Amino acid sequence: MADLEFQREALQHLDALYNFAMYLSRNPPEADDLVQETYLRAFRFSHRFQPGTHLRAWLFQILRNTFLTFYRLRERETAVAEDGVPDWDVPMFHDTSTDEGGALEAHTDLERAMRRLPEEFRTVLLLAEVEGLPLEEVARVMACPVGTVKSRIFRAKERLRVMLKDYGTK
Amino acid sequence: MSTELPGPGDEALGRRLASELPRYTAPARLRVAIVEAADRPRRPVWLAPLIAAAATALALVLFMLPVLPRIAPADPVQQMVRAVVNEHSRVLMWGARQPQILPAGLPWLTQETGIDLRRAFAGDDRLDFVSAEPVYLTRQRGLALHYRDVDGHFVSYIMLPAERGFTLSESDRVLIEGRWRPMLKRDAGFVTWVWKQGDVACFLVSDMVSQDDLERFKDYFVRVRVATEPTIAY
Repeated sequence: MADLEFQREALQHLDALYNFAMYLSRNPPEADDLVQETYLRAFRFSHRFQPGTHLRAWLFQILRNTFLTFYRLRERETAVAEDGVPDWDVPMFHDTSTDEGGALEAHTDLERAMRRLPEEFRTVLLLAEVEGLPLEEVARVMACPVGTVKSRIFRAKERLRVMLKDYGTK
Repeated sequence: MSTELPGPGDEALGRRLASELPRYTAPARLRVAIVEAADRPRRPVWLAPLIAAAATALALVLFMLPVLPRIAPADPVQQMVRAVVNEHSRVLMWGARQPQILPAGLPWLTQETGIDLRRAFAGDDRLDFVSAEPVYLTRQRGLALHYRDVDGHFVSYIMLPAERGFTLSESDRVLIEGRWRPMLKRDAGFVTWVWKQGDVACFLVSDMVSQDDLERFKDYFVRVRVATEPTIAY
């Protein structure tokens, strides 16, 4: 288990991680679970963290991996369409459904548009633009090259602009 | 893969995201829950797979237990006692397979078993004769006589050829009426008198295990022993 100093440092990023978890899961109880599981994993594997590297990015990476492991897996298991084709068997960069189920209501058009973005686009925007992580760190969290991060940011903003325009005309 | 760099419009949108997008703050209870969970000692990661593997192995062993080979006792007397007790249990539950009556069935029984009964105990006021039948135990042909006493106890008298290794040790011997010293063996909830009569190994089995029953079982031994004379016919 992690020492107290590591715990204290890691907990400084609690709000940032919770915000990220909220945008990923769109559901407060799930965000709670996600963040708690992230911290427990981080504490358990604290010996693998390399001192001097970006702790915040490492935590974001754990959180995203946890989200992909548990939440997406669960969605895939349950989301089988009536025609027998799983809902997840669609192109990677699809927009998220507008149906938010029991999720928290969006306050602004910007937030609503963000929620509709595919996870890959939403994550790069949140990490790079909202949390201000360097592109190299975002690439590490996303486990992809920096060029791919830049491309995703560009395309995410493009799609965001179209959505915001649509909301403006409605 | 596209590698376009963001333009000026992108920077404005980026600023909007940073400033206008609502930020969610972690509830205070979440911090408390994390700290408490971190302080709680966790089960080692290997414990769950280990328990699962042990449970699976245990289930398999329990499932396979009836077909696993039993550990046979090294003592030939004990081996025969076990076989005799099994045969007694079988007859107790399912009855004799080829029941014969005495003395009419004696010639056929001698022919089938190789054991000749010059005299045979055919029952009295305490023990009712039930049936006689050939048996095959510990790779030998033998002869079984079954009785039931007035209290309902089932008693089997089984005779087998005594092999060379069949030697009764001095331990577990019981002196009866100052004349006989049969060996008393207990196995699987049954009690057995074991003795040797000429070249024949004799066994008297019953479930009369209590001390009171044992006194009566001694009496049954005497009745059977006095009235029966088995020999090897061929």
